[in-house]
Amino acid sequence: MPIQTPFHQRTSEHNKNLDWKDWGGYFASNSYNVVNDFEYYAFRHSAGLIDVTPLFKYKVTGKDATLFLSRLIVKDISKLKLNQATYCCWCDDRGMVIDDGTVMYFAENEYFVTAADPSYSWFSRFIKKLDVKIEDVTDTICALALQGPTSRDILKNVCDADIDSLKFFWTTSAKGDGFEFKISRTGYTGDLGYELWVKNADAIKLFDALWHAGQNYNIRMSGIAALDIARIEAGLVMNGVDYHSSLHALIPEQMSTPYELGLGWAVNLDRDPFMGQKALKAEKKNGSKWATVGIDIDWPDLEELYKKHGLPPHTDAGAWRTSIPVYHPQNKTKQIGYATSGTWSPLLKKNIALVTIQKEYAKPGTEVNFEVTVEHHREKVRAIVGKPQFFNPKRKRSIVKKENNE
Amino acid sequence: MSKKYDAIIIGGGHNGLINAAYLAKAGKDVLVLEKRHVLGGAAVSEEVFPGYTFSVCSYVVSLFRPHIIRELNLAKHGYDIIPMDASFQPLPDGDMGLCRWGDASRTRREIARFSKKDSEVYGEFSKVMTHMAKMAKEIIDHPAPDVASINPKELSSLLRMGKVFKNMGPELLQMNTKLLTMSSADFLDLWFESEVLKGPMSVSGIIGTFLGVRSPGTAYVLLHHYMGELDGAFRSWGFSKGGTGGVSIACANAAKSFGAEIRTNVNVSHVKIKNGKATGVVLANGDEIDSKIVISNLDPNRTYLKMIGENNLESNITKEIKRFKLRGSSGKVNFALNGVPNFCKKRDGLEFMKGDIAIVPNVDYVERAYDQAKYGEFSERPYINIVVPSLTDPTLAPPGKHVMSCFVQYAPFNIKEGAENWPKLADKFGDAVQETIKEYVPDFDSLVEHRQVVTPWDLQETFGLTEGNIFQGELTLEQLLFQRPISGYAKYKTPIRGLWMSGSGTHPGGGIMGSGGELSAKSILKDKAI
Amino acid sequence: MSKYDIIVIGGGHNGLTTATILAKKGKKVLLLEKRNVLGGIAAGEEFHPGYSTTGLLHDTSGVRVDVVKNLQLERHGLVLEKHRADVSILSKDGRSSTLTSNVEATSKEIETFSIRDADAYKKYQEFVKKVSKVFNDLMDNPPPNVDVEHLTMASLVVLAKKGMLLKGLGNQSMMELLKVAPMCVADFLNEKFETEFLKAGIAAPAVYGSYGGPWSAYSTINLLMWESAAKVNIKGGPQMLVDALVKASKEAGVEIRTEAEVERILLNEHGVIKGVRIKGGEEINSNSIAASCTPKETFLNLFDDFQLEYELNYWIEKIRSRGTTAKVNIALNKTIELNGKAAEYARTGNSFDEMEKAFDPVKYKEVTDSPFLDIHIPTLSSPSLAPNGHSVVSVLVHQIPYDFNEGWTEKSKKKLGDDVLKELESYAPGISKAVVGMEVLSPLDLEEKYTLTHGHVFHGEHFVDQLVTRPIPSCARYSTPVSGLFLCGSGSHPGGGITCAPGSMAAIEILKTL
Repeated sequence: MPIQTPFHQRTSEHNKNLDWKDWGGYFASNSYNVVNDFEYYAFRHSAGLIDVTPLFKYKVTGKDATLFLSRLIVKDISKLKLNQATYCCWCDDRGMVIDDGTVMYFAENEYFVTAADPSYSWFSRFIKKLDVKIEDVTDTICALALQGPTSRDILKNVCDADIDSLKFFWTTSAKGDGFEFKISRTGYTGDLGYELWVKNADAIKLFDALWHAGQNYNIRMSGIAALDIARIEAGLVMNGVDYHSSLHALIPEQMSTPYELGLGWAVNLDRDPFMGQKALKAEKKNGSKWATVGIDIDWPDLEELYKKHGLPPHTDAGAWRTSIPVYHPQNKTKQIGYATSGTWSPLLKKNIALVTIQKEYAKPGTEVNFEVTVEHHREKVRAIVGKPQFFNPKRKRSIVKKENNE
Repeated sequence: MSKKYDAIIIGGGHNGLINAAYLAKAGKDVLVLEKRHVLGGAAVSEEVFPGYTFSVCSYVVSLFRPHIIRELNLAKHGYDIIPMDASFQPLPDGDMGLCRWGDASRTRREIARFSKKDSEVYGEFSKVMTHMAKMAKEIIDHPAPDVASINPKELSSLLRMGKVFKNMGPELLQMNTKLLTMSSADFLDLWFESEVLKGPMSVSGIIGTFLGVRSPGTAYVLLHHYMGELDGAFRSWGFSKGGTGGVSIACANAAKSFGAEIRTNVNVSHVKIKNGKATGVVLANGDEIDSKIVISNLDPNRTYLKMIGENNLESNITKEIKRFKLRGSSGKVNFALNGVPNFCKKRDGLEFMKGDIAIVPNVDYVERAYDQAKYGEFSERPYINIVVPSLTDPTLAPPGKHVMSCFVQYAPFNIKEGAENWPKLADKFGDAVQETIKEYVPDFDSLVEHRQVVTPWDLQETFGLTEGNIFQGELTLEQLLFQRPISGYAKYKTPIRGLWMSGSGTHPGGGIMGSGGELSAKSILKDKAI
Repeated sequence: MSKYDIIVIGGGHNGLTTATILAKKGKKVLLLEKRNVLGGIAAGEEFHPGYSTTGLLHDTSGVRVDVVKNLQLERHGLVLEKHRADVSILSKDGRSSTLTSNVEATSKEIETFSIRDADAYKKYQEFVKKVSKVFNDLMDNPPPNVDVEHLTMASLVVLAKKGMLLKGLGNQSMMELLKVAPMCVADFLNEKFETEFLKAGIAAPAVYGSYGGPWSAYSTINLLMWESAAKVNIKGGPQMLVDALVKASKEAGVEIRTEAEVERILLNEHGVIKGVRIKGGEEINSNSIAASCTPKETFLNLFDDFQLEYELNYWIEKIRSRGTTAKVNIALNKTIELNGKAAEYARTGNSFDEMEKAFDPVKYKEVTDSPFLDIHIPTLSSPSLAPNGHSVVSVLVHQIPYDFNEGWTEKSKKKLGDDVLKELESYAPGISKAVVGMEVLSPLDLEEKYTLTHGHVFHGEHFVDQLVTRPIPSCARYSTPVSGLFLCGSGSHPGGGITCAPGSMAAIEILKTL
């Protein structure tokens, strides 16, 4: 049985739909309403509030904490400045991704790491003789994500921190009315947004303050289903959906490298040894086999297929996470990749999907064939390869004082 | 008796019945003879006390081969397994204990109480074991390759094995060697640190063997939990509806539906042998029944030394069969209870008790139990595997009452007082079990209405398992594969033409798998023996 | 370019063997030894003023004759007896039996207490003789490289050929070998013999250095390996081998530095061997290194974290090397007899149950009160090791755990010494009164003194999965995943003991690449 997060008392009041999911052993609201479009639109038009407590969270401290994380993570953590945060992934020897997450540099020799999978065992086996302590704070620190264009204004109303000048992927400490918490300008929606980290005891205080302040800014509870739509639009890959941790993969075909996942930008190769360095250097030199791309599934083509069956075009309201084959542009029986998740983008009015594809077909503009099932018949429809990131608004990175510079 | 059968099967245990079903399905005229009044051998349900039905010996079903269920259509004939969700390990001093559930996150939290690392390593361990299970499946679903001969046919079966090893890498490949040879405790040490967690995990390696968790050669049985035959269940374990005898009854019904004839209360004295060939059986009352072939579902010792007889065997064969180690090491104690024995009052509800309950607080506990057995005593504080099947299957006991079945190890057949003195020690043995349980269920005595103690001696005398070995022979490497029961006769044949074997004493060994019965029947048909 | 073609780490008998063979082939070899003496656990030590042993280990019966010949060790003073040394099997009831290389004579002596066993011993040795070809073939060759993953008909034919060698035994012996190999030595010998103390004494070498008692499965393999290998004897003990090897190595041009402790193995930017750094900071360059120290020491202590691939590190960490051997050296002011006989080598055991009971506490990190002993009285053949008329009793005490709940303190060591003396009293009454000095080396001491990881005298347990593919599959043929790094110690095939086999086979493999 999943357990309840410290916000459960509040989230359950809002969850009229009684639609709960097991996320990392916690109850998580999949959707709060039968029609959950508005939970998604909150991210893009006002502010959506999500309980993200089930993320695995670790406090890494000690004199060698920087060295330790730099060796484990493919990004050079030693480059982080105090209060800065970074998105990153970590690999095994073969350069295969184990998990991805965020590292926040909270204080000297103190880092805060989030992960999708339990990672204590993996991290701790590298401590060896280093002066490092890893504390699993998953059950003691809880988290809310406040995402959307009005999130900044809401946050300004609940704490004393200088939110206006807090830059994208930076963090700050904040004081609310009778409680303290940490703010990171991070998120999983590709929009302006923040993640708030607070001790379990202060969970309800933070929640209530946000909810109260949010009333003037159309704050809404958002579920995982809505979040899924937003993260696909933003082109953010998900462990267990778009790729599989090499620790759990049974065969090499189930593993991916950061380059194959489009996370090459998060790899710093030329530095002291780190896990996977040798393999990743070789891959960088020799090229990758696979790439992660976004595809835009051609709507007129789809319409045509439905027309054949005398039906109006149809698309599911939410995101999907099933594996769907992608075929060669000409040879429609030759599979060249597979979609791992996709959605109808309410904002872009497009049918989009994240696709793992053989490198030679990854060039933006390439036409491929995507399998769709229309009235129980398997059909192929044209799709255009592009970057995974479909939506990237300026406000995601903007700061208030010099809005136009960013 | 003038009728001549195609085949007579001695022993109506589940393997014998499966063998009969396959042969009958192939159109053969088959007769099964069972000495007892009930079918099933060690897979038997009996109403031991009025109103209380027990799985007297074997009490859970785990590795029953799914293709046998399909091929014999056993579900139609009553095969019905209730999966077990939980595996509970009570701990002394009122601790919450450790419960492993089908829900992975829930299990992770339970294990994290003892070791955070272990709680996460569980997945890595499962991954390695899944690789290993590929090999095991290859082995248990085919007759054992004959190492003695280097003919192309045997080599090509090795090639088939090679495919299983694809992409494993040298170290993982060597893991096969580790798994086959190491002790279960050492093997688990490669991943885990918590002695509490390793306790119940390691004991699966010793069940039914006269070995300890630190004895080399016990690790490979850990695989059984990763064969994943029962869909969706955390451990592929379950209770047969109506007790383990339900499995045997389903097999018997299947056999009958194909036309096999089954008789109980028929005691076979020996196999009729003419000119080195089996021609039927001779009953204890002197009657004879003729058949083209005979299949013995008895253990190798009984088959060779009683059914065939030393005078019909060459001396080197007799010598080899006498080397075959049986050495039973376990007993059963079955309780009829007037209420629920609560093994952990700190936990809500009774869900945690609906699977198995393992009394093994840590690795040293069970190793010390073994140390005692090594020198000829039963363990004062034994490893006990408990099930209360009436919690999930209320038909087994009167309303509100329960049956509780305890598998107890170590109870060495060869005690220092001499095996024949077991009946005198039975009560003392039962008391030791009851005392051990009381350490977790203080009010246990007041719940007990009846107690049935099944010692290794009883397993031999009542169920025909020589030296009380529940697997018809130790599952050590030198008694497995092409050496089970003896090399040269590992493919279900015996030195007597027309006499075959099908029991747990043949490849791939014990437990309610059905493989012996199935593979022997298929070998007989392939050989055109009838 | 470096001055040296290769640096050999560790000056034990295997390190010396590797260095000498390579130097004889014209390679420039530098050998670095941490201690101030050469020989490692084969070196004799003065443990009490005026009293010396001939080595931590006693048994030289397994020294490979081809190494002695190739390195012309006899020219350098080695006296090789072409038969194994006599061993006296002692019983607490005062009986004893001498196992000699002469099976007939041994059997005759056994006949005085058991006719059945006299016959059984002959049959047992016949079986050993048959299977020894297989075991010696295994020990004299690098591990076969069978790639199961890419199994082809061709590789199967190679396997089949190996199988034919087994076949050469005759079908019956082959099947018997397959049958008994996984067995525990107690079952194996119980099928043959009836006299408890004799069985225990014959079985003893099977459990030396292992984490198991006579009831542990697969111990029969160890017994058969030992029996197959034990063919010779070095007069004067292991130290004589060391002396000859040192002379041979110097003649061949090996440069030897003692008190040169390697702190780090250095890699270049491509992860290839660059040299070593020794204590004091000096760096010595070479593109190749042969390490004769334990695999765990080599990979886990001589490299920085993260220099090695995780996978390599992971499997090395999983090597089992739980030390179970202690050493007690006793200086006596007189000569002694064991059960009334002068015996240079003797073993006790008494019965399988007693041996097993000595092992039982190891599992719980405890130490037995009645250890069984592996005794060497070197002064019988080399009186000069002690003052005139005095003697040295060197005792290897097996089934003494490295990992000890109470910890290895002076107090617990004294207790162990006393327990050993108490045991010895049963065979040599009055011995305690003759003691003038004593040294007790716990497994922890062995680790510290000889850099033996967890005090394991074989550099890793001799168990099925750690034999042949020793220490781990990717390092099994002396080369390692680290380019330029080789292993040449007891942690490699065919394993520990004073054989020089790993050192010599490693040298042959290294020559292929140098």
